[in-house]
This record gives sequence, structure tokens and C-alpha cells, in this order.
Amino acid sequence: MPDAIVTRRLTKTFGPKLAVNSLDLNIPTGSICGVIGPNGAGKTTTIRMIMSIIFPDSGELSVLGKASAVESKDRIGYLPEERGLYKKMKVFSFLTYLAKLKGIDSPAASTKVANWLARVGLGDVARKKCEELSKGMQQKVQFIAAVIHEPDLLILDEVFSGLDPVNRLLIRELIDEQHRDGRTILFSTHAMYEAEQLCDRILMIHRGQKVLDATMPEIYARFDPRTMLVQPIHPDAADSLRAIDGVIAVDPVDIDSFELKLRDGTDPIDAVRRVAMAIPARRIELKRTSLEDVFIDLVQATGDQTIKREDLRTNTTLEQPVHA
Amino acid sequence: MLKTFYVAWREFTSTIWTKGFITGVLMTPLIMLVVAGAIARTKNLKGPRLIGSIAVIDESGRVAQGIKTRFSPEFLKSEKEQLVKSVDQTAKEGADKIGLSEDQAAMASGIAKDAINNALSKADLTIEELPPTIDLAAAKAALAAIDIHEKNRPEGSPPPRVAIAVVPAGAVTPSAEGVYTKFELFTAQKLDFEIQGRIENKIAAAIVDARITSDDRIQRSGLTPEDIRALVKEPDANTATLTKEGEKKNAGAAQFLLPMAFMLLLLMSVMTGGQYLLTSTVEEKSSRVMEVLLSAVSPAQLMIGKIVGQMCVGLVILTLYSGVAVASLIVFSFMHVLDPILLVYLFIFFFIAFFIIASMMAAVGSAVSEMREAQTMMTPIMVIIMLPWLLCMPISRAPNSLFSTIMSFVPGINPFVMMIRLTGSEPTPTWQIPVSILVGLISVVICAWGASKIFRIGVLMYGKPPNVRTLIKWIRMA
Repeated sequence: MPDAIVTRRLTKTFGPKLAVNSLDLNIPTGSICGVIGPNGAGKTTTIRMIMSIIFPDSGELSVLGKASAVESKDRIGYLPEERGLYKKMKVFSFLTYLAKLKGIDSPAASTKVANWLARVGLGDVARKKCEELSKGMQQKVQFIAAVIHEPDLLILDEVFSGLDPVNRLLIRELIDEQHRDGRTILFSTHAMYEAEQLCDRILMIHRGQKVLDATMPEIYARFDPRTMLVQPIHPDAADSLRAIDGVIAVDPVDIDSFELKLRDGTDPIDAVRRVAMAIPARRIELKRTSLEDVFIDLVQATGDQTIKREDLRTNTTLEQPVHA
Repeated sequence: MLKTFYVAWREFTSTIWTKGFITGVLMTPLIMLVVAGAIARTKNLKGPRLIGSIAVIDESGRVAQGIKTRFSPEFLKSEKEQLVKSVDQTAKEGADKIGLSEDQAAMASGIAKDAINNALSKADLTIEELPPTIDLAAAKAALAAIDIHEKNRPEGSPPPRVAIAVVPAGAVTPSAEGVYTKFELFTAQKLDFEIQGRIENKIAAAIVDARITSDDRIQRSGLTPEDIRALVKEPDANTATLTKEGEKKNAGAAQFLLPMAFMLLLLMSVMTGGQYLLTSTVEEKSSRVMEVLLSAVSPAQLMIGKIVGQMCVGLVILTLYSGVAVASLIVFSFMHVLDPILLVYLFIFFFIAFFIIASMMAAVGSAVSEMREAQTMMTPIMVIIMLPWLLCMPISRAPNSLFSTIMSFVPGINPFVMMIRLTGSEPTPTWQIPVSILVGLISVVICAWGASKIFRIGVLMYGKPPNVRTLIKWIRMA
């Protein structure tokens, strides 16, 4: 099956600023791909170009096999970063209006809207004006607007921003369901945790350039963990741990655990074995690399030392992971 | 195509079904009609008849008798008969001039006669002559204390004095320099201004009569005051415009009324739709719903849909107002003053004017992020709106002058100019109409093309509003 989205040397400048620089992308059909990167990295510009809302200065792209998203607009669901509602319009009329704009005929549109509103728990606000809804409710309405026409490709820009943990979970489940139905999903986010949980592919963009484009297993394989968490049965095991071959640092964490840093080139599986032989332990865990670490590694490898962890998070309190 | 229709339909309904539109556009004429009707009713309401007397202090000794005569029942009766006669005359002339039927003339004069009867039966006034030696200050003080309304005075009390007139000798006999002095009229409070006016006029007329009869030269000639009055009355003109088709009776003020009415109708319907278009575009941008819409429709579809939707709003206004106007013309059998082809032109030029204004409004609305920023970019639109106001008089005065002809081909304002000319007193040369329409259509295409370019880029631009150079850059971008 051909890729849902293909771009070749996609470039866009805004005045002197190079927003997207020669970007090559392949999003396979049926995949769920997260685009991550700090503010101003070029995520929204890329997505807008894919949506044919703005046009690239140079480069080619194909969306669902067509040269422009305009030709297959009704097969694409799009949740823009700049999203809003008609304040004075009733929720139900707003959604049926958008459904009709997306090519659903009038009677079918009403039924679908009613079903969706009931599903996300907004059945009782259907007759309210959009401005009367809370922010979270508005987000859900906007999500419905993006998926109402059962698109083949779903593009969600900053889908988790501004949502409380409960609604983040709800949206995550809805996205997962769309994915299970076989839709291709591309979403940009600051929320690394959600990206890790949902995606089978990750695309990292920094300063308009692609710094990573790989599947999750590839990422875990490529960025092998350099950290191990050990909880010894006897708390005074620090020295024994330090003596193990390949361990370069031992830092105590919590009351009875230690974090072990491994030397570059050390096979983590061998290291686990050596720790197990050296001391009796309640727990030996190879910590999985986080997208945040990967991103920072990659960016620093390009010689950019300015990037901070905070830049990857719009709102740290809201971006805390939620465990299902 | 269907999407454009959905956009247009939403634009139309969301504009029409607002309190602002219903009260502002639909209710205003209705309210005005009701208020006008109410005023007409109260004017015809007969107030309590005023019974009273006017004190005359005649220092000249030549006027009091004339005043008494002019307030006598016989005089009032003949005065009324004369007024009625002149109303009949005017109605007959009017019928000749603007082609009223006999029935309509009879109806008009009937209305006028009613008004005369009403006015003349408002008061029943008698004259009491006071000697010049009387204490004027005391009389004035007494008048100041009088309540002229019968219901406020004790039952059975004599009719009150409502005014004191003092006619000095100098009012009849001029000074050595030939200057007459004024006469004085003191009135009680709450005296109806119409009654006061009539008292003034009658005293003034009596003074003029006294001047005429006391003049030696006139006495020698044997002329009566009536003769003199007939001599000095300025005649009216019977005006007619000569055209190739023959004599065309001049309708006087109607010559300006019709062009003005058509221009206003056009301007109002175009501007209302245009203004709503600007507001809704800015709202879609500022509420950030724009990109959601653009994920479903292209910028061109959105713009065309919005323009068409607001065009329907303008059409509703145009049809409603011109419909009311035509209906009232038909009811009063006045339809002949309006050539039906003018209505066809009205709609043709509405489309041209609307698309030009709407394109500009859409461009401005898309380029700014807030209503406030739009004001600075409205200049070209304001020029198009203001010019017809300034041009209305000179063009309707000389519809076929070189100036008017040139203005008919200036893009943007030519629909308004053509409407003024077409409804004016002289027939517009036939070739100029299609040429002006062509100029209009070409400017519509250019405006819409430029606007669509600006719209496409502007709708997603936030922040500082662009200047003219940026706008031109947007237009030139592919």
C-alpha cells in the first residue's frame, strides 16, 4: 500500500526565517505517527503544508496519493492548532454544518453528530451555544468535527494541549480507536508521554529540520538505555555495585534503590546479568529511554546546546503523564 | 459547489436571524411607519376649542376696526371658502402637472380641506378694544396669571383674555426715513402656536390695510387694499422640460427625490451586506474558527460562499424596501412616475456595486485580526460610500453633462452614478448604459480576483495588520 503522506525536500520560509528546511517524510498508511519538537520547530507549518492551507516554497508532496490535500479534503480529518468555534452557534448546528461541509448529506449528518455527542458525554449540551461550553468540552467538540466524516487520514495539531488529565485520557482512547479502525494518524504534540504511549512512529523536528524519523522499536533499539534501576535486598550494596564492570556511576534514589549509569559500548543485557550475579536484588530494571532524552541527545548532537527540557513542554503541570 | 452553498446558507441565516438584523433592518421601517401614522393621528385630533378674547390697544386709531372685521364670523366664513377654493385649484393644477386622476385630486383636496376645517375651528376669538390710556403693566400682569384652558378655570367664568396687541401709531404711519415700527403682541401661557400665528397674521394684515387706506397716493388712484394685494402677489411658473420626445412636465422636487431614493436604496442594501461580511470574516478569524473551516473548504469556496450569503442579505433588504416603495406607489396610483425598467437596472447595479464592496470587505476582513484594525484599511471603501452623496446633487441637476458621463465610467462609483442618472430628468444616452455595466463587470472581476488572493493568505495571518505594500505582495504571490 502506498504511503499516506510523502514529502520530498519540502521547504518554507517566512521572510528571513526558514520554517521548514528540505523535509523528507514518509507516513505509511495505517500508521500512527507523532510529530514532536519544541515551539517554533516547524511542526504546524509542516502540517499546514500537508493540508494545503499554506503552500511550500519548494519541494513536492503527496497526500493520499494526490498532489494536494485539496483534492482529497473529504478524506482527511484535521484538527488545527488554531481552533475555534462559532461562539453564537449551537453545538449541534455547528457540528452538522461542518459535517455537511465535509461532504456528509444532511440527514446522515444529524444522526452522526448526535451519536458522537452522546459518546463523548456531551449529549445534554447539544442545544447550547458553543460559547457556553467549558474549554475541555470545546476541545471534544472540535475533535468530533475532525473525525465526523470518518476520514482515512487524521491530522491532529497539538491535540492534547489545554486538556485536563481525564479528558487527555478520553482523547487518547478515541485516537487509539481511530487507529484500530485502520486510519492513518499524524499528530503533533508536546506531550512526549502521550506520544510514547500512542505512536508506532515518531518524527522529531528541530529548527525546521528532521532530526529523527523512526518506529518506536527502532528508537528503543537505537537509543539503548544507559540507565539501570537496582533495588538491592541489602541496602549497603553501593560499593559492590560500583565495582561491577561497565558501571561508571551509582546514585541513590528513593530510600533503598540505586540508579546505575553504564559506560558507552556496554551491552545492557550483559550488565543486567553481572548485576544479578554480584548482589541479591529485589528488582533490576533496565530503564527504557524516554523520548525527551532521545530528543535532547539528538539536538545536542547537532551542536545546539540551547535546548532545555522545559522547551519540550508547553505547560509542565498539564503535561505530567497520566497512567491509565 | 454544494459546499459553497452551505457556507452561503449559514452566512445568510446567521445574519438574518439575529436581533440586530430584525430590529435594525426589518423593524426600523415598520416602527417609522407606525410613528408616522401616530403623528398623523394626533395632528388630526381635535383639542378643546379655545374660547377667549384679544385685547387691542390701538394707538394709531386706524387698525382696531380692521382687526375686528378680520375676526368676525362673516370674514372667517369667506376666508374659509377662499382657502377651500384655492386648495381645489392647486389640486386641479397638480392633476394636470403630474397626471393625477380626478379621483386622486378630489382625495388630495379632501384631505387638505379637512386640515383647514380643523385649523380654523380651533379657536373662537373676540376682540375687545382698550383705550391707549389703560395701565398696560397691570393688564400684562393680569395676562401672565391667566390659565386659558377652560377645564382649569372655575365653571361659568367669562372667556379669558388670551392676548394683548399694542399697535403703535408708527406701525401705520412711517417715520421721516420711511421706517415702520413693529407692533407688540403679548400672549398668555400655553397658547397654541398655530392660533398665535393666526392672530399675528390677522393683525399684520389689518395694519397693512390701514397703511394702504391712509396713503394719499393710493386714495387718489381709487385702488382698494384687495386690488393692491392682487397686484403685488408674485405669480407661480408653469415649468416644463423640453426633450426630443416632447414637453415633459417638471415634477419639481421629485426631480431630486427619485435619484436620491434610488441611490440611498442601492447604498443601503450594498453597505448592510458588506458590513456584515466584514464583521463575520473578522469574527471567524478572531475566534480562530477559520482554520477549522479551511480544513473542509478552500479559501475561494469560503470567500465566494460568504459573499453570496451576504448578497442574499442585501437582496432581502433591497427587495423589501423597494417592494414597500413600489407597493405604496401602486396603492396611491403613482406607479407611472417609476419606469419598471429602472427596477431592473437597480438590481443589475446592485450586483455590480455589491460584488465590488463585498470583495473589498472580504479582503479587509481577512487581512486584520480585530475589528478595530479594520478601520484604517477602510479608506477606499469609505470613498466609494461617500462619493455618491457628494455627487448626487450635481449629477441629478445635470444628468448628461460631461462630468456626469465621465463619472459613469469610474469603477466603484459608477453603479451609483448610473442609478442617479437613470432616474433623473433627462434620458441617459442608450450606449452609455451597457458600457457602464461592462466597466462595472470588469471591475468586479478585478476586485474579486485581488480579494481572493488577499483572502487566501490573510485568513491565516495573525498579528500586525498588513500595510498596502504587503497587500500588493500578497496579490502578486502565486
